[in-house]
Amino acid sequence: MSCTIKKRQSVLRNLFCFAVVSLIIMLTVGCERKAEAKQTLVVATEATFPPYEFYRGNEIVGIDMDILREIARRNNLHFQIEDMSFDSLITAVQTGKVDLVASGLTVSPDRARQVAFTRSYANARQVVIVPENSPITGREDLRHYRLGVQHGSTGDMYVSEHIGEAERFTNGALAVAAMNAGKLDAVVLDNAPAENHVAGNKGLKILPEPLVEEEYAMAVSKSRPELLEMLNKSLAELEADGTLARITEAYMKDNKPENTAEAHGAWARLKENFHTNFIKNDRWTYLVKGFCVTIEISAAAAVMGILLGFLIGVIRSTADQTGKLRFLNALCRLYLTVVRGTPVVVQLLIIYFVIFGSVDISKVLVAIVAFGLNSAAYVAEIVRSGIMSVDPGQMEAGRSLGLGYGTTMRNVILPQAFKNVLPALGNEFIVLLKETSICGYIALQDLTKGGDIIRSQTYDAFLPLLAVALVYLSLVVLLSHLLKKLEIRLKKNER
Amino acid sequence: MNDNTILEVCGLEKSFAGLRVINGVSLRVSKGEVVFLVGPSGAGKSTVLRCMNFLETPDGGEVLFHGKAPDRSEQGLNTYRSRVGMVFQHFNLFPHLNILQNITLAPLKCGLMSPEQAEDTARRLLERIGLAEKALAYPAQLSGGQKQRVAIVRALAMNPELLLFDEPTSALDPEMVGEVQTLMKELAEDGMTMIVVSHDIAFACDMADRIIFLEKGRILEDDTPEELRSSSNARIREFLALRHM
Repeated sequence: MSCTIKKRQSVLRNLFCFAVVSLIIMLTVGCERKAEAKQTLVVATEATFPPYEFYRGNEIVGIDMDILREIARRNNLHFQIEDMSFDSLITAVQTGKVDLVASGLTVSPDRARQVAFTRSYANARQVVIVPENSPITGREDLRHYRLGVQHGSTGDMYVSEHIGEAERFTNGALAVAAMNAGKLDAVVLDNAPAENHVAGNKGLKILPEPLVEEEYAMAVSKSRPELLEMLNKSLAELEADGTLARITEAYMKDNKPENTAEAHGAWARLKENFHTNFIKNDRWTYLVKGFCVTIEISAAAAVMGILLGFLIGVIRSTADQTGKLRFLNALCRLYLTVVRGTPVVVQLLIIYFVIFGSVDISKVLVAIVAFGLNSAAYVAEIVRSGIMSVDPGQMEAGRSLGLGYGTTMRNVILPQAFKNVLPALGNEFIVLLKETSICGYIALQDLTKGGDIIRSQTYDAFLPLLAVALVYLSLVVLLSHLLKKLEIRLKKNER
Repeated sequence: MNDNTILEVCGLEKSFAGLRVINGVSLRVSKGEVVFLVGPSGAGKSTVLRCMNFLETPDGGEVLFHGKAPDRSEQGLNTYRSRVGMVFQHFNLFPHLNILQNITLAPLKCGLMSPEQAEDTARRLLERIGLAEKALAYPAQLSGGQKQRVAIVRALAMNPELLLFDEPTSALDPEMVGEVQTLMKELAEDGMTMIVVSHDIAFACDMADRIIFLEKGRILEDDTPEELRSSSNARIREFLALRHM
């Protein structure tokens, strides 16, 4: 008989327990990722820079990677590669997130003030890619046209200093894709990847005259002279015994990105493109892996947001209604002001580079914490509005029966508040899910980043973006549907 | 003070936003007594009642239960309130819980009864008011009169020594007033001590042992219904005349 009374409460309690347990599991899984053997150096790179670093299947390969492998073999080390956005590389090595940068990094005086460069291992030129029929013939023409660069690259710095404003893309492939789509008139890029891009895209050419000559080197923190010395010694050896030349030559000859569709007819071309973008080299696995990361981060962050948000919401309401908890309330208000007053990208970067700057911690965990903290602020205000929407007579009725404030809150107010705010909470989860698409900023391979990697390999913007959009859309439709069902179930009894 | 006194209020004072609404109210209620608080709107009847179980915190004066001031800590108030039930004008049933759960929530959460005991008690009480078949219904599926009877039973499930009623029939359609009043009379006949705030003078005269007439936060008269009706106080006569008493 008594099961009728307890049923609903036990459902809620089970949900709560499930939430806590899954959060703990996700956090633990996130931590374990990091367990590695000793003697490991972490290397930061931006892996859409062929032939120096790029994805082949799920592996990052390229000239830099082969050089590292050779250094590792000779010094009995292990390198762990972290793929991150180019403009984060210098910060990552400065803050100690990584030990070194090997990413076709050009030596420049500005950068040399921030980090210590090894000896140079390659010469490079900044060149200009234009469409074949372009009226641009030399650097004098450039200032009148729309230019694209890789954000933070020496091309970016050179153009800003000597030519004018350029549009900054997170990688060269994106800039080339933008030019293909008619958004740009010219792209300034390092010569090696530029040659790859031109080989992989029909109707592009490189202007004969380079903008500037420069050198590539690896970078380490200025506080690591012993590391610098080791790398310099190894690089010198590689150069002396011809290994360096061998590696470079192999890639320059070997790595021509596959040409895109040659087939005729729209349908055949689409099929061909589909094959190139998703089937070939198992590229669909980028999307699947990214999907898993996106789900893991969103789900754990949502759980964290709910738990923390409910706590903050209840503290705020309690302070409003009873005048107690003043100090906690002030703390919560400060938290809400800061979190709601700053963009989530900035929060994510601060948590990664500043708060966990010197801690060796899984990036998935960092993302979960960042998005969880962010979401909690919005959930807190949603919960507070929900609590305020419940008739004050409900609290009085509970109290008049001898129930304490907390007991009444849990058993009477919150269940009603939860029901009232379910649509708003659903909205928050949908926003959260889509917000995780900025994970790429800290080099996490989420769904969006997965699409980016495919794009950088196939030079096709349409299909990878469409696929990514469709996956997000399906997720949101599914989530909305589930929330709708829950809402109907909770409301069923009341009308 | 005689040994039968359950509740005593001495020199009660209460202000809202600087406006004095209760101005030195003192009264005494004995075991088994039914006392009505009547008076014009804004006289402070409900505030006095709500001060009795500290839903409003008195600014001055004392509320004594069995001759002692209740401990005002959260725990102390919970214990006190579990012995002093309250019925509200707008019922304040919990809409997300069914009728059975509405009644058993407090006995269970206060640790007074086992789940089986609580459910037995609730079903017995529902049987008594003829709503046994509504045990698994939700408040929204009940009429106003049924809701208020459930609210009364919900307070009774805690086995209180005293029941406070705040305008229990004011929010009801006229045809539903009767069923609630009948239940209240039955309780009174069973010896329940009750303090009732009401506009309904006829009802008060019908069932009250004593009627306390309040105006502007003061007690004008505290007497039996018969005495009140023959009161010489002009305000009371005027008030009664308006209600054809």
